[in-house]
Amino acid sequence: MTTSQDTGGYWSGLTVAERGVTAAIAAFVGLLFLGLLTGVLTPTYFLFLVGLSGMYALLSLGLNAQWGYTGLINFSVAAFFGVGAYGAALLSASGSPLAGGFDPIFGLLAALGMAVVLALVIGVPTLRLRADYLAIASLGLAEVVRIVVKNKQDWTNGTAGIRGIPGFFENWPVLSTFPDAMPGLQIHVPAGPVIELGAPFYGMLLNVALVFAFVGVSYAILARAHRSPWGRVLRTIRSDEDLARALGKNTYSFKMQAFVLGSLVMALAGVFYAHLNLYVQPGDLDPITTFYVWVAVILGGSGSTRGAVFGGVVVVTIRQGTRFLNEFAWLPVDVAPLRLLAIGVIIVLVMRFRPEGVLPPQKELIWPGSVDEAATTPDSAVNQSTRGDGDE
Amino acid sequence: MPVLELIANGLVFSSIIVLGSVGLSLVYSIADFANFAHGDTMTVGAYSALVAFGFVGGVGGAVLGLPVGFFLALCVGIAAAALVAIVTEKLIYEPLDVGSLGLLITSIGIAFIYRGVIQMGFSADATRFGVPPLRPIEALVPYGVRITEHDVAIVITAIVLVVGLHVLLQYTDLGRKMRAMADNPELARVSGIRTDRIRLWTWVIGAGLAGAGGVFLGLFNNLSPRMGFNLLLLVFAAVILGGIGSVYGAMLGGFLIGMIRQLTPILSDLGSVLPLVPDTFGIPIGIEYAEAIVFLIMVAVLLVRPSGIAGEAS
Repeated sequence: MTTSQDTGGYWSGLTVAERGVTAAIAAFVGLLFLGLLTGVLTPTYFLFLVGLSGMYALLSLGLNAQWGYTGLINFSVAAFFGVGAYGAALLSASGSPLAGGFDPIFGLLAALGMAVVLALVIGVPTLRLRADYLAIASLGLAEVVRIVVKNKQDWTNGTAGIRGIPGFFENWPVLSTFPDAMPGLQIHVPAGPVIELGAPFYGMLLNVALVFAFVGVSYAILARAHRSPWGRVLRTIRSDEDLARALGKNTYSFKMQAFVLGSLVMALAGVFYAHLNLYVQPGDLDPITTFYVWVAVILGGSGSTRGAVFGGVVVVTIRQGTRFLNEFAWLPVDVAPLRLLAIGVIIVLVMRFRPEGVLPPQKELIWPGSVDEAATTPDSAVNQSTRGDGDE
Repeated sequence: MPVLELIANGLVFSSIIVLGSVGLSLVYSIADFANFAHGDTMTVGAYSALVAFGFVGGVGGAVLGLPVGFFLALCVGIAAAALVAIVTEKLIYEPLDVGSLGLLITSIGIAFIYRGVIQMGFSADATRFGVPPLRPIEALVPYGVRITEHDVAIVITAIVLVVGLHVLLQYTDLGRKMRAMADNPELARVSGIRTDRIRLWTWVIGAGLAGAGGVFLGLFNNLSPRMGFNLLLLVFAAVILGGIGSVYGAMLGGFLIGMIRQLTPILSDLGSVLPLVPDTFGIPIGIEYAEAIVFLIMVAVLLVRPSGIAGEAS
């Protein structure tokens, strides 16, 4: 699409689903701002939600590289998330039972290193297996990781968890003092509450910047990798592994590479979580996290990078949105089972009515250049014809 | 180390795992997907029995320390699990056209729906059947075995159900058709077997056995909405160990997995159990790692012999 195109042309170039999603996102953003203005959402909590969405987007980007690109049915997402969080926490936290107190950068590197090791430990035995065996085996191995983290007291503090994790930017030259240095602001909303922007707000702003950086880098790398020749091999493996093998590709090696790549992105989400939450505990490795991320990926559309981001945001909306139901005391429901039910219903509905997901990969798989060349001459004609279809 | 006691406990736990794994294996072989909702089907059976027991708990005399009403409630649990499974099959699985991986993912959603509904009705807290706890059977205590009549009831009922299934599979028309369909669904259909009907019956039997397993799990430990899901991976391990699709393999696998799970404490005292090994020898692994050991065994089996103990090498 050329930049000279008007917005109307862009709009008609979208599929029905894309239009729906765009409209839904616009409505949702509007709702959030309404919440901000009326004081239901504090700005700090709003940023926390944005950070959490970014974290889930990272997790689903990672899983998407494994399942969406390569067809690996990995049920050990929670283990990689947990290893990322624990790797970061163990090295940087003051309460670490191992050598704590290092700069968070080292925690980040350690977490990524541990994720690679874990990916090899889980991947080497399981990636040769049939798809459904891989699901069961990886879920079992993730449980092994959780059991070890929970019971290996002298390494991980066991069920007590690890406290005293610093913020990610604690030792950075300017950013460490940024939240305190910024002036406190008070925004008076006409006929509404006073919104205060203080140090916690700016601290959270840094977290959001961090997760945006993580998501941005991961998205760029993954989207680029997906379109590369390497990504094409992965897609071939997903649709027909025997064919890929017949073409002379070492499919096991390719699957391992995709598995490690996805696991690194998941661990990145764990690192961010450790510095966002400032506390990690074995419950963070609970398999339910894995299933949340699966919902995000299949809802967004398997293989679609932007779908993964969209799914991540939806999952955060479900997880955090159900908390608001607590405020309505007259509702005779408990929130935890409602959340479980919502996740279950979404999985079933998507598989029943739209198994390819809400935003299946379409143009993502095409080089932007080739679209431009094809679209230049018959551009207006194509648009007219779609408009004509709409009128009939 | 009371080895006999551990073996006795392993036997009871194995009975529960066997009930779960036989059903899972049946469904795996005929519906052809890994049903992640199987554990929660067990929970459905357990809670249905809990409700039924509230109504009929006082009925009749006592058998093996359990009121007759408990066995009525057991039947209700089995029926409810089977009914829920059929409704799910008709409503959800049958209209789907997404392949076995899609069905697997759908079954996760189904599992959450079951669990969410149960948790709404009964809260997340653990509860128990209203049967008074028993003292261990006196005659066995001198041997170091402390099991109650309830445990004996669990083992006996499980044996009855499994033998019943064996008779059904080997000597009835339905059983022969089920075996034919598990072997080769296409061939079964062209031979005139109404495979959709057999599929339904498979769900009934598989989910019914799961329901029974859930009731006994509730009697053995207690009931909680997560009980079935927590057991699911052990049940999968049993099915894989025995060989996916092989019902008799699932029985053997369930027995072995239940035993391994309960016998883990022996590892740290191996020396006193094994002959020819010094008494101080032992592998210091606590009971808290028991399930981790089972899962590692499961992965090892998948690697070395993906077809399981009783499965045919393909």
